[in-house]
Amino acid sequence: MTVWPAIWLTLKLAALTTAILMAIALPLGWWLATTKARTRPLFEAITALPLVLPPTVLGFYLLILMRPDAPFGGLWVSVTGQTLAFSFSGLVLASVIYSLPFAVQPMQTAFAAVPSSAMEAARTLGASPRDAFLTVALPMARRGFLTGAVLSFAHTVGEFGVILMVGGNIPGRTRVISIEIFNAVETLDYATAHVLSAWLLVMSLAVLTVVYFFNRQGGARLG
Amino acid sequence: MGDELVFDVRLARRDGFALEVKAAFPLAGITVISGPSGCGKTTLLRGLAGLERFDAGTVRFGDATWQSDRQWTPPETRRVGFVFQDAGLFPHLSVADNLAYGARRRDVTQYGAIVEALDLGDLLPRAVPGLSGGEMRRVALGRALASDPAVLFLDEPLSGLDHARKEELMPYIGRAVAEARVPAVYVTHSRAEVAALGDRVMGMEAGRLTGWAAASHWLMARVTHASGSTIRAEVIGAPNEIEAGVSLPRIAEVGETVRLGFRAEAMMLSVAEPGRSDALLQVPALIADVDGRPKLDVFGQIMDLPRGGPHAIGAQVWLSVLEISPRPEASDSADSRR
Repeated sequence: MTVWPAIWLTLKLAALTTAILMAIALPLGWWLATTKARTRPLFEAITALPLVLPPTVLGFYLLILMRPDAPFGGLWVSVTGQTLAFSFSGLVLASVIYSLPFAVQPMQTAFAAVPSSAMEAARTLGASPRDAFLTVALPMARRGFLTGAVLSFAHTVGEFGVILMVGGNIPGRTRVISIEIFNAVETLDYATAHVLSAWLLVMSLAVLTVVYFFNRQGGARLG
Repeated sequence: MGDELVFDVRLARRDGFALEVKAAFPLAGITVISGPSGCGKTTLLRGLAGLERFDAGTVRFGDATWQSDRQWTPPETRRVGFVFQDAGLFPHLSVADNLAYGARRRDVTQYGAIVEALDLGDLLPRAVPGLSGGEMRRVALGRALASDPAVLFLDEPLSGLDHARKEELMPYIGRAVAEARVPAVYVTHSRAEVAALGDRVMGMEAGRLTGWAAASHWLMARVTHASGSTIRAEVIGAPNEIEAGVSLPRIAEVGETVRLGFRAEAMMLSVAEPGRSDALLQVPALIADVDGRPKLDVFGQIMDLPRGGPHAIGAQVWLSVLEISPRPEASDSADSRR
């Protein structure tokens, strides 16, 4: 049994999920870090929910949501002609929601650490709010961006429960590494399980080492 | 000339703090807003700069309306140079790029004079995180001035520095403001900073302005000698036979004018010549009648009396000064042009 389709699928899923997540986390993290709205704790709680809920619970609700006879799932079918459940698109959607806190929280923390006087100084020096965000807040928060991206990627690579719930186990389409390992062990194919597990272990270690290395380096070297 | 910053504004906070102020600040020299912590002076300055929005009222700057019922100008188009308490530098940029940030957005290409007045030349290639507290304040001031502001707002720019560092930085502020020929509004609760830098002082307490306070305790002096890190300056108008010189740190060069500012508490009047004392400056003076009010006439320079006690018009007195806060003046003439 070849392991490459699973590895390729996993990397594709993680890369796509990370790209979508960072596009969401950038404005959402900024909003959470700067808003004075009283509803902020509610939105923070919703964002953090995937940290607390068992993946099976999250996966169960997502599966319900993705059913073709549910409003959202039905809409998806009418727009794309495909069902979300048991498809790669469904995996991406589930991964985005499941890894949301890993992208948003580092960004929120990094944006919150940008002193208000730096942003205000930019404004008095002639920068529009957008200009100040792009030239002051974003560069100052770049470590949060990197951390969020790396953690999202790594977390997506490692997810199992949610994928099993919404994706099933279709080779080449939804069968990612973690599921493949589960299958291998079930069929007593320990050789395959060993190879894939070692692969995940080494990759995760490498990713985390890179993150901690840059965090220790300080911001100045990253630009 | 004749331009003013005119405002009549109100602001209420949920914690019960209320601001209700109305005044016209002349746009010349350094106007100080002085008051205890929590009186609202920083809030007022931030509102005038557009960093906060007053609940109601109007703000006019010369011919431009910054806030009214119908209008609100965002800070980026007010051309206010703002110097923050904590400097607010951009840590991801070098000192040179910090200075260029505002200059580039306002199409200013020449600001070498400011770099020079603030001694920033050696700092330009440095990274912000390695700067000392005093260096950061100088860069923040230079960054605000390099953007060619129409007015400079300083919010306790020396807070959090030790005494020696403050003494060192005050002349820089005076020189840079004089060099850039920009009117300034300076918020502080430090009497030393008022004496050294203020051309006029507006008092503030509990969210209200308490009126202009007498602040003109100063004499102009001309630098006559310079050696090493010190200079000697003679009070302008003093006849040759009278010793009216003071030693100062080197804040100006020979031939230039410095302003010697005094805190009222550091001034002493005596009716007889006091002889040798600890005073830094000791000069004869006359209690003169200026528009019906007693003032102090020192070699033709008129200044406010240190305190309001009874003083006979025409009396000959001696002025002793125990502490001097010097400020460099603009190189060609002492008055302000925009």
